Amino acid sequence: MASKKPEQFDRVDWSELSESSRFDLSINSIGMLAATLPLALLWLYDYQFVGERGATFQAIGLGRNLDPLDYFFVFTLFLFFFYLVLPLYQNPRMTRYYWAEFRRNRPAVVSLGWLGVVFVGGLLGPLVISAPEQSILTGHQPPMFLSINEANVATCVGDVVNGQCQGTWQHPLGTTRGGKDVFAGVVYGMTISMQIAFITTTIVAAIGITFGTVSAYAGGWVDEIMMRFVDVILSFPTFLMFLLILYIYGAGLGMFILVFSAFAWGGTARYVRSKSLSVSEEEFIKATRISGASTYRVVRKHVVPNVASSIITQLTLLIPGFLLAEAQLAFLGIGDSAVPSWGQLLSAGRSDLAFAPWIVLSPGIVLFLTILAFNFIGDALLDALNPEAEAESA
Amino acid sequence: MTEEPLLSVRNLEKHYPIRKGLLNRQVGAARAVDGISFDIAPGETLGLVGESGCGKSTAATSIVRLEDPTGGEVIFNGGGRAGATRNGDGTHPNDVARFDDRELKAFRRDAQMIFQDPSSSFDPRMSVGSAVAEMLQIHGMSDRHRRRAIVEDLLDRVGLSPEDYDRYPHEFSGGQKQRIALARALVLNPALIVADEPVSALDVSIQAEILGLIADLQDEFGLSLLFISHDMSVIREICDRVAVMYLGEIVEIGPTDRVFADPQHPYTEALLSAIPTPDPRSTATGIELTGTVPSPTDPPSGCRFHTRCHKVIQPDDVDLDQSSWRGLLNLRDALAAGSVDVDQIRENVRTGGDLAATPDAVKGQIRHEFDLDETVSADEMESLLDAALDVALAGDPEGAAARLSERVTTPCEERVPERTSHAADHESACLLHERSSPPSPADD
Amino acid sequence: MSTPLLEVEDLTTTFSTAKGALTAVDGIDFAVAEGETVCIVGESGSGKTVATESVTRIVKEPPGRVEGSVRFKGRDLLEMSEPELREIRGYEIAHIFQNPQEAMNHCYTVGWQIVEALQIHRDVADETARAKAIDLMDRVGIANASSRFDDYPHEFSGGQKQRVMIAMALVGDPDLLIADEPTTALDVTVQAQILRLLEDLQAEFDMGILFVTHDLGVVAEIADRIVVMYAGNVMERGDVLDIFERPAHPYTQRLLNCLPEIGGRKGGIPGTLPDPLDPPDGCRFAPRCEHAVDACVTGDQPAEIEVNPGQRASCVHYRPGRDDSVVRDGIPDADADGEGVSSADD
Repeated sequence: MASKKPEQFDRVDWSELSESSRFDLSINSIGMLAATLPLALLWLYDYQFVGERGATFQAIGLGRNLDPLDYFFVFTLFLFFFYLVLPLYQNPRMTRYYWAEFRRNRPAVVSLGWLGVVFVGGLLGPLVISAPEQSILTGHQPPMFLSINEANVATCVGDVVNGQCQGTWQHPLGTTRGGKDVFAGVVYGMTISMQIAFITTTIVAAIGITFGTVSAYAGGWVDEIMMRFVDVILSFPTFLMFLLILYIYGAGLGMFILVFSAFAWGGTARYVRSKSLSVSEEEFIKATRISGASTYRVVRKHVVPNVASSIITQLTLLIPGFLLAEAQLAFLGIGDSAVPSWGQLLSAGRSDLAFAPWIVLSPGIVLFLTILAFNFIGDALLDALNPEAEAESA
Repeated sequence: MTEEPLLSVRNLEKHYPIRKGLLNRQVGAARAVDGISFDIAPGETLGLVGESGCGKSTAATSIVRLEDPTGGEVIFNGGGRAGATRNGDGTHPNDVARFDDRELKAFRRDAQMIFQDPSSSFDPRMSVGSAVAEMLQIHGMSDRHRRRAIVEDLLDRVGLSPEDYDRYPHEFSGGQKQRIALARALVLNPALIVADEPVSALDVSIQAEILGLIADLQDEFGLSLLFISHDMSVIREICDRVAVMYLGEIVEIGPTDRVFADPQHPYTEALLSAIPTPDPRSTATGIELTGTVPSPTDPPSGCRFHTRCHKVIQPDDVDLDQSSWRGLLNLRDALAAGSVDVDQIRENVRTGGDLAATPDAVKGQIRHEFDLDETVSADEMESLLDAALDVALAGDPEGAAARLSERVTTPCEERVPERTSHAADHESACLLHERSSPPSPADD
Repeated sequence: MSTPLLEVEDLTTTFSTAKGALTAVDGIDFAVAEGETVCIVGESGSGKTVATESVTRIVKEPPGRVEGSVRFKGRDLLEMSEPELREIRGYEIAHIFQNPQEAMNHCYTVGWQIVEALQIHRDVADETARAKAIDLMDRVGIANASSRFDDYPHEFSGGQKQRVMIAMALVGDPDLLIADEPTTALDVTVQAQILRLLEDLQAEFDMGILFVTHDLGVVAEIADRIVVMYAGNVMERGDVLDIFERPAHPYTQRLLNCLPEIGGRKGGIPGTLPDPLDPPDGCRFAPRCEHAVDACVTGDQPAEIEVNPGQRASCVHYRPGRDDSVVRDGIPDADADGEGVSSADD
């Protein structure tokens, strides 16, 4: 570079550059494709050759099976990595700025740490901890440092002191009536919660952003019809719909996520539409349009990123609702009891609250903290992701 | 024509439809730009000046086709398009309004724009270097290093440092952002830059720097500029020629020094006299314009300025004090528009202490509110005014307006003034000149 | 000079921000006498608006904090309670702002808003208030005032709204009118009308006017005395003629030179405003000043020194024993000045 004469704008021979700008992929998209392709192949293999009952990895001797929800979860993780984490690394200046802003909100930083724990626990926990298993004999074991009257347990795993059964490291958070380890249950619940968080967010964001921007840019009748459709979505009784589906088809976690996120994007779409309309009035949009950029490019490169940063907050605040909804349904016994979610754990302990409160408390506290964390982070993001407002007040 | 102009705008119109009702029927149009024409020569700067709402920004966005004009031609001869002649059907091959997508994209390289508000003219989530380089990318320069080299060089030329490439808009001051905006407008090496109030949002000390930079860059690269501003002192400094707009029309156009030294249109005159001069000893009192700018949906007939003009023409057989004449016209218009509420005025006279509220007191109040306190100098007019006010007091304002209209009429509202030429290249559109000078040889 | 109506001493306004304390106004003094117009001139970020808002304490507290003393007709406004202040605000001291759109309530008619302003401070009957409001609307030059009394703000143009704001400011026969960039959002032709109106009203009501603006043209038109502010400090003050014809502080000189009519806009002022969170030592303008010497960059903002009778500048070059020719030479010469102005006229 140093040897070359510096390029100057008035010496560019435009005729030698091809008029049609080639379809060039960003490094993020290439990475995304490279990561998704093996996943898709694995899914194909799973679907075609392994069959319903067989474990995905049985060919190499692993008992782990992947269901469609897992595939989708991994896919959303890839999206998260290539379009959120990687850009943060690619734009260190902006990242440092956001971080400096974000850091000012102490509770949010702690919350981020907590969510990090839930994320890593949910992702790696099931790989190191075996799934909680039924074992009637070791039911109602107390957590570490607590004890329970011997009369309430069939077999005490730890020591018995003065007729009190003591907790052990074998079951650090105790066990349920059926002898399932609460700690393992909480860790597996993290996976479920992360799946709910990532998948619903992806679905809501994808539909909401597409719907909102198309509506904003199409205008006229299209806009009118799309927005009335959003009204319908917003006023739809999702819970009743879910009950109906439950009675007809039976409802697993996948169905829960699908139904609830399919009716949750209305607000996001509306927000994206109004935000797109206001962004498209900004002078930088005019400046890009006058450079000859296509509408698609303007929307993709400028409108969506500017809208996205503000809907990240909205989406973050949407997640707690889904987690709570799942927990509530599970607690009421409407969920899929095979899914080891926090709600199921809560539900399993509700009858033993009098003498074994840990069964409800452990997942309850974890759920509470997680929901609180999402709310704190949403609040902090609202302040951090708004550089214009900051620049004006400074 | 000795030299072909770079840009020639002919009868450009931009009307915004006004729709109402369930079926979105068009009930009218806001005539934001209503038939303006001018030329810009290569390397020349034309100023477009006017008050807010006169349509100057709409004119700019229509010329560069950020919005599609609803009528007229914008013929752009830069960027290798020179020498084209009209097609058989009378259309011009270089008419920007008729460019297809491919031609339009090529045109984008030759005509660029700078905007007013530095705080919103950059994507807050994109580094300023990428924002400038994006221009190159859109036009097919896929070599990232080459883009960066060009932009860094350009940032250097507009007075920033190449290291600023990776910084974000919020890290710059308004003046610096406007420098980057200049870089963005320049990076495709255009022949024409349309600058829409580029310094209005800046402090005076920064304005001077940016204007200096614009002038330098213009000299260096032979740019033509269409410079839009409401600030006459900025226009005076940077423009070779100036066009004054009022309500979507150009009322005067000419070389800047001539227009400033010898304004021909009363509006230009008023605009110039309104500029505060930084001289505490100056005691010159400017011309005060009364009234407000009418709505572009329903512009006044004839000369659009006649509702505010301080030199509005009197009929041949009337010779009143100009301010009384103005007052009479205003009263007539207010009566006709039904905005004089006689009952209300009577009520006020009463609450003001005069319980009887005699017709004379009410009339006096109306006259006072329309600056007609003193007796109108011509007896005939005074009695007409009195008679008309009687009609108004009787509860018939339309009748009063009709009564006044018998005599209170001005040619300015009846005839659209033609452009008259005063000197080389200096034209204005005012009936005063049409009357005083012999009919000018067929212009246009 | 008559006794000052308003005397501001050592006025300091700080805002606590996430990044630390921001000193917007840094210990400034000024005074306004009865019937006099004082202009605070400065560029954006100079603290001129905050300074005037601190006078009647309409700055938000917290995060703001106003210290010093503001004596109005002998009473210290900063020691008054909020109810006492409310008695003075809008009554003895009236404010008009840059954006009349934002200062009006769009749900009520214009006339009603004036009546309300009137009745807040005075116990007057509705009819009397109405008559007075119409009289005020007429006095501020709203044509056909009686019929426009019942119109809503959106039916008025920007200039007319500013006139209404002025009418509202006049309800209490104020002794002091604080006008914060009242013409900046308006077109030049309307600006000229409003300025003339203010001058007429001042003569009629014998008000003191504290006028904030960045536009030196406007200043020349209406000011009696000028206070030049930069980065929260007063750089120079004096009579309008002195400031325009013999500006003493390098900042004032550069600022005047930016005007096409005076200096032909020679290059503007290079550099940027200092960071208000971390202002430089010494003279705030020193980092951008071509005449800066070592003494300029240490200590506090230099104390003001009388350079001419009634004209004071905060510049070390005028300290006794220093050669002030270095800065006096920067003054634009009278010829160029006169010429520029004469050609700018009519």
